[in-house]
Amino acid sequence: MKTKYLMSMGTLSRKDNSLDFKNEKGHNYIPITEIREIYLMNEISLNTKLLSFLSQNNIIVHYFDYYGFYRGTFFPKEHYISGKLLLKQINAYENKGILIAKKIVLAISINIYNTLYHYYRHGNNEIYDYLNYLKDDCKNKIEKSKTINNLLAVEGEIWQLFYKNIKYIINQNIDFSRRVKRPPDNPMNAMISFGNSLLYTKTITQIYHTHLNQSISYLHELSKSRFSLSLDLSEAFKPIIVFKTIFDLINNKKINLKEHFNKKVNYCVLNEKGKEIFLINFEKRLDNKFDHKSLKRKISYNSAIKYDGYKLIKFLLEEKDFMFFNDKEKK
Amino acid sequence: MDINGTLINYYFHCKRQCWLHANRINLENEFELVDIGKAMHEIKFNNKKNSEIKIDNISIDKLTNDYVIEYKKSDADIEAAKWQLLFYLKVLKEKGIDRTGKLIFAEKNKQSKKTIVVKLDKENENELLNIMKNINELIKGDIPEVKLIKGCKKCAFYEYCFL
Repeated sequence: MKTKYLMSMGTLSRKDNSLDFKNEKGHNYIPITEIREIYLMNEISLNTKLLSFLSQNNIIVHYFDYYGFYRGTFFPKEHYISGKLLLKQINAYENKGILIAKKIVLAISINIYNTLYHYYRHGNNEIYDYLNYLKDDCKNKIEKSKTINNLLAVEGEIWQLFYKNIKYIINQNIDFSRRVKRPPDNPMNAMISFGNSLLYTKTITQIYHTHLNQSISYLHELSKSRFSLSLDLSEAFKPIIVFKTIFDLINNKKINLKEHFNKKVNYCVLNEKGKEIFLINFEKRLDNKFDHKSLKRKISYNSAIKYDGYKLIKFLLEEKDFMFFNDKEKK
Repeated sequence: MDINGTLINYYFHCKRQCWLHANRINLENEFELVDIGKAMHEIKFNNKKNSEIKIDNISIDKLTNDYVIEYKKSDADIEAAKWQLLFYLKVLKEKGIDRTGKLIFAEKNKQSKKTIVVKLDKENENELLNIMKNINELIKGDIPEVKLIKGCKKCAFYEYCFL
């Protein structure tokens, strides 16, 4: 089951029991059974006949505008619904919300630590203090947090310090002093924004294939977004998926700061070629498989996102203690 | 909770699976086994007379003048399949339809026969009543603990149970 990215302008329609993407170059038939989700990355026409066909096959469509900003998701009707779990999800929001939220922030810190430790081992000694902070100070702060706001403050601190340390990790000279969103102001911010929104949509797709309700979240405010649980569950994967992709693109010179970005008057986005390079490497990382310790089989990072959803379900239904995805799950 | 054939089957196979299914937690199977089963049904039953009959909350693969036929991909869990079929026979009997059950396996791994004939009698009818009572109690209670059995690795709940 794959992800299909449509990068060029065209028309997507149903042709018998298959999909037909028509662009300048002609017809491109896509077997429906092979895909799980579609990304529309350009101006693409479609009709309701197509939408109901996609819905029948439980295929999710995420769409981005020409500049690579996430615009929305076409969500087929729910195929997994459990009233019992929904009640538990709501109940946990009132009673155990902080517990789950703590686990999310802890997972962020562990995964950043593991991502950066690799660089420390290879001689990037400047990040030593930050690594220590993640291991001790930050862990204490998470444990001691009594409210979601305390916790959000710790999370903010983790990321802020992380951004400050990025310059020690990358070998190209990128002016990256602070995180700027909507719109991003430099290539680094452009890649972080693009990567984060991709990961967010990937998580929406994975949650769709579980019984979890997308709107009930524990760390992020409920009102923040319709799919705020996706914001919650994608956090742990940001260091591993988004930032590892970015560091690889920069350090291995796969992306060129002059060639692959479009710098408008005061903001910066990936251009078409840049988006393509980013997507290929992002997908590769998600598809990467590793031996899972307790499952005793190879799983991809993409499935690991869904399994984090399963863990949450298990916690809600059975009160089984758990931890969101981290390196310990690898063999 | 209305008891259906799948629940009876799961009850024999794995209590935890039965509980999850009854509580509407059904997870997608990433293996092709489910697709194979579905495709098998489509090939066998599409547009054919007396097949895929839905009565109340049971769904019968095929009903002939003499038999109620249940098709299975393999004979991996004969006991579970047998009771599922007996349950169908019982539901039909209550509607005045008396039949004999026939299990047909596409693959035989455990035994040499491809078909097994199942008859509803006083004894197993009483046993069914007992089973249904037990299932009702099971699904109202706490979820059963994980127990590794043969077949776990092919189950849609495998990841959920063993994460």
